[in-house]
Amino acid sequence: MHVPDGFLSPKVTLPAWGAAAPLLYWAVRRNFGASSTESLPVVGSLAALAFVVQSIMVPVPGGTSAHLTGVAILAILYNPGVAFVCEALVLLLQALAFGAGGFTVLGVNALAMGLLGPGASWLVHRALRTLSARVAAFAGAYVGVQVATLAVSLVLGLQNRLSPEYMPVPLPVIAAAMMVPSLTVLGVVEGLYTVATLAMLRRVRLVDAS
Amino acid sequence: MTPPEPRRSQVLLAAWAVSIFSISAVADVRLLAGASALALVVFRRGSLRESRRVLLGVLPVALGLSLASWAWLWLLGRPPPVAPFAAMAIRAALIAFVTFSVLRRVELLRAAAPFPSASRLLVLSLAQIHALRLLATESALALRSRLPRRPRTRDVLQGSGAVTAALLTLSARNARDIADAMRSRGFH
Repeated sequence: MHVPDGFLSPKVTLPAWGAAAPLLYWAVRRNFGASSTESLPVVGSLAALAFVVQSIMVPVPGGTSAHLTGVAILAILYNPGVAFVCEALVLLLQALAFGAGGFTVLGVNALAMGLLGPGASWLVHRALRTLSARVAAFAGAYVGVQVATLAVSLVLGLQNRLSPEYMPVPLPVIAAAMMVPSLTVLGVVEGLYTVATLAMLRRVRLVDAS
Repeated sequence: MTPPEPRRSQVLLAAWAVSIFSISAVADVRLLAGASALALVVFRRGSLRESRRVLLGVLPVALGLSLASWAWLWLLGRPPPVAPFAAMAIRAALIAFVTFSVLRRVELLRAAAPFPSASRLLVLSLAQIHALRLLATESALALRSRLPRRPRTRDVLQGSGAVTAALLTLSARNARDIADAMRSRGFH
């Protein structure tokens, strides 16, 4: 779902970094407090959790596999700000410590996968949780994946609008190529994973049953 | 003369950030080819290993995406020029090559040393990733050993719910232990 380095020019990536950095600062201050003794271990542990969850590969019909994102569960259990901080840190660690993902596109990926997606998951879950816990968890995670994918498609489409010689693929083609697997496979996998995780957390009484 | 650590790693990291942003601005195939040749000369030590990593891990994805997009547009009846697609694949591969080459030469922990909070967060996160990964790997092996066949989608999803619960518990406990350890050593 995330954009690799080389697919977006600085015309798009630098403003995204500019938007993500202050939001990240605000989210860290708001959710993890000013005391580094309290906040650093929690941020580090939750980011590590998101990192490890993202390394779990789920076999999908057709012989391929998809990896989980795990940020919807963080948004539902905590809030979208926590998910944003953890996802941004995961992306930074992937880029700096493992040379994976992308550094120039980190702002775009953090905003799409860490803020917009989990934000949508959290809103949908809150709206539906009085109806059914399972439906709310599934719908929250499913919608979160679709919002993040759509955001990434729109950014790639914007790059095509800004300079077609740089990104030659127009938005309709990008959106179709990204949204079809997202709507049919990735969203369903993430939704089922979120339902299974919340059910397990309720069973061991780590979260409220409501 | 090579500057001493952590200055050397910081300079390398800053140069890397500037260079990959600069490469990401280039759309001309000839310029990208020239930049690739230059990168191979600058990072000639270990270039075979990094090139192999790019060829196996990055180029198939970048080329696959470029080819698929080109084929899709061609099927829609608009045969597009090849150059922008080639540039996209070369750009992605070149950025990956430069990234792998620089990160192999950088001591990340030493570069972060003058920034205590960043340094602690880096150490904590990497240590936690290691600890949680062990648990996830053991759970995956346990799931495989319990089943007489390869785990299917449903098995993995159900198993990953249980793994996440265990990971959450472990990460919360580790965070508490680390906070206590930091306080006992005088960190505030």
